[in-house]
Amino acid sequence: MDVQKHSVHTLVFRSLKRTHDMFVSDHAKSVALDEERNPSEGGVHSMALALPPSQARHDTSRTGASVSDIHRHAGGAERSHAHSTSLMEGGGTRNSALTRKAPTMPKPQWHPPWKLFRVISGHLGWVRSIAVEPGNQWFVTGSADRTIKIWDLASGKLKLSLTGHISTVRGVAVSSRSPYLFSCGEDKQVKCWDLEYNKVIRHYHGHLSAVYDLDLHPTIDVLVTCSRDATARVWDIRTKANVHTLTGHTNTVATVRCQAAEPQIITGSHDSTIRLWDLIAGKTRVTLTNHKKSVRTLVLHPRQYTFASGSADNIKQWMFPDGNFIQNLSGHNAIINTLAVNSDGVLVSGADNGTIHMWDWRTGYNFQRIHAAVQPGSLDSESGIFACLFDHSESRLITAEADKTIKVYKEDDTATEESHPINWKPEILKRKRF
Amino acid sequence: MRLIFLSQDQLEAEERLRVQKSYSTALVSSHREPPPYGHRKGWVPRSLEDFADGGAFPEIHVAQFPLEMGRRKKTSNALAVQVDAEGKIKYDAIARQGQGKDKVVFSKYTDLLPKEVLNEDTPELQKPDEEAVKELTEKTRLALEKQVSQKIAAAMPVRAADKQAPAQYIRYTPSQQGVAFNSGAKQRVIRMVEMQKDPMEPPRFKINKKIPRGPPSPPAPVMHSPSRKMTVKEQQEWKIPPCISNWKNAKGYTIPLDKRLAADGRGLQTVHINENFAKLAEALYIADRKAREAVEMRAQVEKKMAQKEKEKKEEKLRELAQMARDRRAGIKSHGDKGGEDSEARERDEIRHDRRKERQHDRNISRAAPDKRSKLQRDQERDISELIALGMPNPRSSSEAQYDQRLFNQNKGMDSGFAGGEDETYNVYDQPFRSGRDMASNIYRPSKNIDKDAYADDLDTIMRTSRFAPGKEFSGADHGQRRDGPVQFEEDPFGLDKFLEEAKQHGASKRPSTSSRSKDDYHDKKRRKE
Repeated sequence: MDVQKHSVHTLVFRSLKRTHDMFVSDHAKSVALDEERNPSEGGVHSMALALPPSQARHDTSRTGASVSDIHRHAGGAERSHAHSTSLMEGGGTRNSALTRKAPTMPKPQWHPPWKLFRVISGHLGWVRSIAVEPGNQWFVTGSADRTIKIWDLASGKLKLSLTGHISTVRGVAVSSRSPYLFSCGEDKQVKCWDLEYNKVIRHYHGHLSAVYDLDLHPTIDVLVTCSRDATARVWDIRTKANVHTLTGHTNTVATVRCQAAEPQIITGSHDSTIRLWDLIAGKTRVTLTNHKKSVRTLVLHPRQYTFASGSADNIKQWMFPDGNFIQNLSGHNAIINTLAVNSDGVLVSGADNGTIHMWDWRTGYNFQRIHAAVQPGSLDSESGIFACLFDHSESRLITAEADKTIKVYKEDDTATEESHPINWKPEILKRKRF
Repeated sequence: MRLIFLSQDQLEAEERLRVQKSYSTALVSSHREPPPYGHRKGWVPRSLEDFADGGAFPEIHVAQFPLEMGRRKKTSNALAVQVDAEGKIKYDAIARQGQGKDKVVFSKYTDLLPKEVLNEDTPELQKPDEEAVKELTEKTRLALEKQVSQKIAAAMPVRAADKQAPAQYIRYTPSQQGVAFNSGAKQRVIRMVEMQKDPMEPPRFKINKKIPRGPPSPPAPVMHSPSRKMTVKEQQEWKIPPCISNWKNAKGYTIPLDKRLAADGRGLQTVHINENFAKLAEALYIADRKAREAVEMRAQVEKKMAQKEKEKKEEKLRELAQMARDRRAGIKSHGDKGGEDSEARERDEIRHDRRKERQHDRNISRAAPDKRSKLQRDQERDISELIALGMPNPRSSSEAQYDQRLFNQNKGMDSGFAGGEDETYNVYDQPFRSGRDMASNIYRPSKNIDKDAYADDLDTIMRTSRFAPGKEFSGADHGQRRDGPVQFEEDPFGLDKFLEEAKQHGASKRPSTSSRSKDDYHDKKRRKE
């Protein structure tokens, strides 16, 4: 595809200049060359954003992907280098013989809207965490009533209740490599349950305060837990040894994610930073300080080498392995407790006030907002989402809520692009400082 | 002038002095400026000013420290300004101070600008391929295993002695070669063996010492605008008042009452009383009223019924009385109708009425004998009651009555009213004449009335049985038992029948005299008795 790669802002801003675009594509008209700039740089400038001149200088340093793209798609014959921006700056253009294409705005992919189709009640306290087993037969929830319940995914019926924690169960995870279920709670305990006997077989002792989240490494038999004592700990599952203690955060570490590629551990904390860790050394590789408020949730994209973090100010997307900032997803003005992402590119953010926003991952278009009603008998203020997760088939979204229910959502099959049109108005005028 | 054979050095020194002198005698002596190139022979820069614009003099073979650069003694935290490949100053050197140069640190403004919307297929967004991931996994796993085993081994105190690695042989070529060293040999072979570790040896070093933590890694640059300043108003909004418990007061603080009650929230809530209370009250009131009305009505109805009943009974009695009267009157009317003049009739009527009244009174007194007569009642009243009722007032005479104490006094005008004494009761001169006079005015028969007539023997006289009617004297025929003083025998002469007939024809035939009717009435009465 020979589409110009620009940020959303650039392209939309340019698309406003309709008349100019019409004339720009006129081959016969010769456009003045700016003698100041080198021809080689002219190409770079043409790729630059539609910014006031002062910012253009900054953008030249961001050659990065754009220049390499130019070189990759060789010749530049098909590239239209002369654009309205370069003319605005008085910048140089290449030969007028080159074809110029009008800039195309990236259109968000259409996703069908999601609707509630099942409410499962049974817990006696807030439902704080969810995990789905690898075979997609059942899922586990941990709750503030100190129990862990196993539910059948297809029917929503309760299969098993496990007790053992003495305080809220904050995190659950099911291992794909062994028949184990891991749970962590506010009582500083991290337990390993053997699902063949439904008993606790191991405790991982070492945290000094409530353990807020845990995650399993996909390829190594290692468990990572994060806690209110501002550390994350890496445990060897078999020997219960604390392999690494990842220190560096200055406040509660609220969320942790593990992946097989570098960086292997990512943590988000209430000191509003995200740290990417080197698991071998047990040290921080990169610290991302873009958020202004506590980072309560992280999610790794299943296909891409990117991840997203959610906090009360906005949701940010980042690139691996260095944590380069991609874009902001703003609009969900609430404390975001949880994020979940689909292979189709649907990002779900669940907030503390009970609202769910559905976003298109690539463009950041919010295509749906849901606020499900609370279970009858609950107060309206008891509406909040603590965890949300797609099942392995990615067709069902399971949310754990503050009104003690588990809600299951599915895509609305009857909706089409005409019935739920994309209404995308990206922000172009005001350039926010992030 | 003596010719002195000077050495080379001395000649040079002389020259130097001459040069120096020539310079020191110059009019404009700026000894801060170093001498120009070519004229520096013999000159040594000693102070900082000698360097002027800086720069050491390579031809002067003296250690020089222009701008104090190069001296090793002072430790400063000044960071040297670095320039990157494009010639721009690297300002993020400050942010990268303590870290390796290839550590990722975001410090530029461009790092927080959103990037272009990338197509999904771009290579940056693709995950690293399987092989790389596997390699990394393996590496990580090994490293972690090593760590774990180290930790566990450290935890286990005694175990079998470690197997030593086999001996290593090293071929070493020393640098100092010669016949004297190494007994002429060019190379040496060294056998290296790991030293045996005593498995029972306790730890050599103390690890219970607590040392302060080292400095953390340098803080990462903050990639967002500073938080908005909080206005005073917003800060006030978040103020939480101190908790004043209604139950506990651990430190025994004396807290003013308004603060104690403030926490209650009484003033903040408006008390909403359910309107059903008012409705209930109203309903109760209405029900009460209705019940009362119903009861009243019922009472009234009952009263009416009772009244009716009473009236009916009275009617009945009246009828009976009327019948009885008629019966008597029937006989009486025989005698009355016969042409007597109206005066006699009037007189008779009057007598009749008076007799009737007397009978009525007698009947009443007989009916309720314990009811005292009016007279008896008045006798036993208190004097104040009598006064209130307006009973015989002895002062009812029309003539003016004077206080008798005024008469026949020889005291004179200055005599007051008993000298102002108010203990004595001297309002009236005479007592009220109610008790004594009235008592004496009214005839009150005493109990022993019959004493006068029968001389205390009333009881004995009453009990005599001399005058028993049934007592017979000899020779008298045995009469029937008497049920009264006069016993009537069976009507031998048919007088009753005769009387009956007379009554039936009474209206037209003979009028009977009142005396006779009286007798009849008495006879009948006796008979009834």
